[in-house]
Amino acid sequence: MDLQTKKENNAIVVTISGRLDAVTTPEYEKKIRELIDSGDIYFVVDFDQVDYISSAGLRGLLLMAKLLNAKGGRLCLANVKGNVRSVFGMCGFNTVFKIGNSVAEALAVIA
Amino acid sequence: MPGKNSIVIRLVLVITLSSVAIFVVTLGYNYHQSRTILQSELESNARNLAMSLINKVETQLMAVTKVTEGLARSLETSKLTEQQLLSLLRITVESNPEIYGSFAAFEPYAFNADLRLYAPYYFWKKGKIAFSHLEDSYMDFPYLYWDWYQIPRELGKLEWSEPYFDEGAGNIVMSTCSIPFYNEINGKKQLQGIVGADVSLEALTELVSSVKILRTGYAALLSRNGTILAHPMKDAIMNETFFSIAEARNDPSLRELGKKMIRGETGFIHYQSLAGFMSWMYYTPIPSTGWTLAVVFPETELLENVKKLSMTMAVMGFGGILMLIVAVAYIAKAIIKPLQLLTAATDEIASGNFDVPLPTVHMNDEVGVLTHNFQVMKQSLKEYIKNLTEMTAAKERIQSELRMATQIQVSLLPRTFPPFPEHTEFEIYASMIPAKEVGGDFYDFFFINETNLCFLIADVSDKGVPAALYMMVAKTLLKTEGQRLGEPDKMLTSVNKILAADNDNCMFTTVFCAILDITNGNVRFANAGHNPPLIIDSQGVRYLSPKPGLMLGAMTDTIFVTEHLMLGPEDIFFLYTDGVTEAKNPEDTLYGEERLLNVLQNAPREDLANLIHYINSEVAHHANGAPQSDDITMLAIKMTPHKVCTKDIRKKA
Repeated sequence: MDLQTKKENNAIVVTISGRLDAVTTPEYEKKIRELIDSGDIYFVVDFDQVDYISSAGLRGLLLMAKLLNAKGGRLCLANVKGNVRSVFGMCGFNTVFKIGNSVAEALAVIA
Repeated sequence: MPGKNSIVIRLVLVITLSSVAIFVVTLGYNYHQSRTILQSELESNARNLAMSLINKVETQLMAVTKVTEGLARSLETSKLTEQQLLSLLRITVESNPEIYGSFAAFEPYAFNADLRLYAPYYFWKKGKIAFSHLEDSYMDFPYLYWDWYQIPRELGKLEWSEPYFDEGAGNIVMSTCSIPFYNEINGKKQLQGIVGADVSLEALTELVSSVKILRTGYAALLSRNGTILAHPMKDAIMNETFFSIAEARNDPSLRELGKKMIRGETGFIHYQSLAGFMSWMYYTPIPSTGWTLAVVFPETELLENVKKLSMTMAVMGFGGILMLIVAVAYIAKAIIKPLQLLTAATDEIASGNFDVPLPTVHMNDEVGVLTHNFQVMKQSLKEYIKNLTEMTAAKERIQSELRMATQIQVSLLPRTFPPFPEHTEFEIYASMIPAKEVGGDFYDFFFINETNLCFLIADVSDKGVPAALYMMVAKTLLKTEGQRLGEPDKMLTSVNKILAADNDNCMFTTVFCAILDITNGNVRFANAGHNPPLIIDSQGVRYLSPKPGLMLGAMTDTIFVTEHLMLGPEDIFFLYTDGVTEAKNPEDTLYGEERLLNVLQNAPREDLANLIHYINSEVAHHANGAPQSDDITMLAIKMTPHKVCTKDIRKKA
C-alpha cells in the first residue's frame, strides 16, 4: 500500500493505492489518527487505485468515520469501483458512507 | 594449548632472528671498515718504512757515488804519477768504511805507453788494506770485458753494476760504482779509463734484512734485472731472479709484478708472497741503482688484532643475544600467562558455562582491559541468554495458548454430523479450517423452536486473540438472541446494538443469518455485510442477492431486513466466508466467486459432507501450497424430499 495526502480547500485528500488489508491497515489508521489529532476533520479518501479491501480495511474506515463523527468532521469516499465497490455493497457501506464519483464531487459533498 | 604458533615462540624467534641479523651486519661492517682503515694506514706505514730504508741505502750509495766522482775528477784534472794514484786509491778505501774496494782501470796504453793494461785495486781483506792488480787478477777474462767496465765505458756515465761475485779480485758479492774519466787533448775528450768503488752487498743486504716487520714480515731487495739480493729465503739470494721463481711456479701474475718492479714502478699490492702467505707489499725503486726495495706485511698477522676484536665482539654479542632471548621469553611468558588463563576461561564460556570465574588481573594493561571486557561480556551474555530463555518460554506459552484458543474456538462450533439424526427433513453440514493464526470465522445452527432451525455463518474482522474473543461474544449473543427473538432481522438488530455499544476499536463481524422452517422449506434470512450465499437448485447454481446490511458492531442504529426464499426438495443453500473466495495461490490470484460458482455446478450434491470436502480440496488445489491466510468456512443445508417423520419428532420434542 502507498498512501499520499494533500490538502485541498481545508480538506485532506487521502489517496490510497494497492491493498488495504490486515497488514497495511494499521499504517493507514496511524496516519489518519495523526491527521485528525492535528486538527484536520474534513477528509476525502480516493479509492481509485485500491485493488482490494479486507475486513481489516473496512474496520479502518469505520474507525475513521467514528473518530470524525466524534469531532464533528466529515468524510466522503471517492472513485469506489470494481471489487471494492462490490465489497462495500455487500457489507452495507454504501448506506453508511457518502460516496462521490470523483475527488471533486467528494470535495463538494463535504464542503 | 597453542603449539608452534604460540606467541612466546614467535616473539622469541622474531626478536632473536632480528637481533642476530642486526648484529651480524654490524659486526661484518665493523670488520670490513677496520680492514679498510688498517689497509690505508698500512699503505702509508709501508711507504714510510720503505722510504726510510731507501734513505739509508741511498745515503750509503750516494756517499760511494760522491767519492767515486771525486776520484774521477782528480784523475781528470791532474796527471798523477803512479805513486800519487796508488796513494789516492788507498786513502779512499781507508777513509770510507762503506767502500769495500776502489780501483782505477785504464784503457789500453792510456796510463803508460809501454804498458797495455793497468788497473790498481785497493780493498779490504780480513780487516786490512790489500792491494792487487786487476790486470793480473782476471786470468781468463781481462777486466776490459767486465760489465763494470764495459757499461759505463759505452754509456759514458756513472753506472752501478749488477751485483756479481768478484771472483779473482774481491772474492765477495758486490756491486760496483763505475765512472769513466777522460783527458782533453786539443779540446777533444778522450777516454782514459774507468774509476770505481765496490760496495759489499752483504753490508747492504744486512741493512735490509735487519728490518723486522711484525713476526714474519720482511723487506726484500731486487736488482735491476730481478735478481734477489736480500730476502728471508737465503738460498734464493743471488741464485734466483723474480722471473725464475715466477717461471718455476708458473705464476703469470708474479711475472707481471716483477716486470713492474724492474720498470721502476712504485706500488702497493695484495698478493701471495714468495714465502707463500697472503700479504700486502709496498715496492719502490732505489733511485741511484735502479734496484727495487719491497716491504712485505703478512695479512694474517696484520688482521690478527682485528680478528681477535671481532671474535670478542661476536662472543659478547651472542652472549647478549642469549640473554635477550631469555629476557624476551620471560616477558612474553609473563604477558601470555594471564592470556592463557583467560583463554582457558573463555573456552569454558564458549561451551556455555557462564559461571566460570575469569582470572583476576591486577595490571591495568591490555590484558587487564581484555579481561575486564570479557567479564562485562560474560555478564551481558548471561543476562541476555537468561532473558532470551524467559522470552522464548513466554513466547512458547503464548503460542501454545493461541493453539489452545484455536482448538477451543473450533470446539465451540457444532461438529457432530448429522447433528439432529431424528430430523430427516433436512441435511446440514459445515466445516471450518482455521488459518495459522487464531481467526474469527464461525458458524452455528440451533433450533429456536420445534420447527424452526436457525443457521448462520459469520466472519469477525481482524484476526488473533481480539477476534477470537469478539467471536465468542458474537456467537453467544447470536444464539441467545436468536432463541429469544426468533426472527433474523430482530436477532441482528439486537445483537448489533449490544456489540456496537462501547466498540471503540470498531471491531465488527459480518453475519449471514437464516431460519428454516423445516416443515415447508421456507427460509427467512437477513444479512449483516456477509458474502452472498449460493442457491443450488433445479435451475442451476446462482448467487443470492440479499439486501445489503451493515456488519454487526459497526453502527448502533443499523436496520436489518428479513427476506424470504423457498428451498424445494434437494435444493441446497450454500453459505461460505471470504476465506474461500479470497484463498490465494502463489501468484496471488484469488479463488474468486466465479470459480466457486463453476465448481459448485460440478460438485457432488448427494452428500453435503462430500460437497464441502470437494470445495475444500478444490480451494487447496488452487492455493497450490501458498499459506492459508484466513479461515475457510462453509455451511450447506439441503431439504430432503420426504418429510415423513416430522410429526413423530414433533411429538418427541
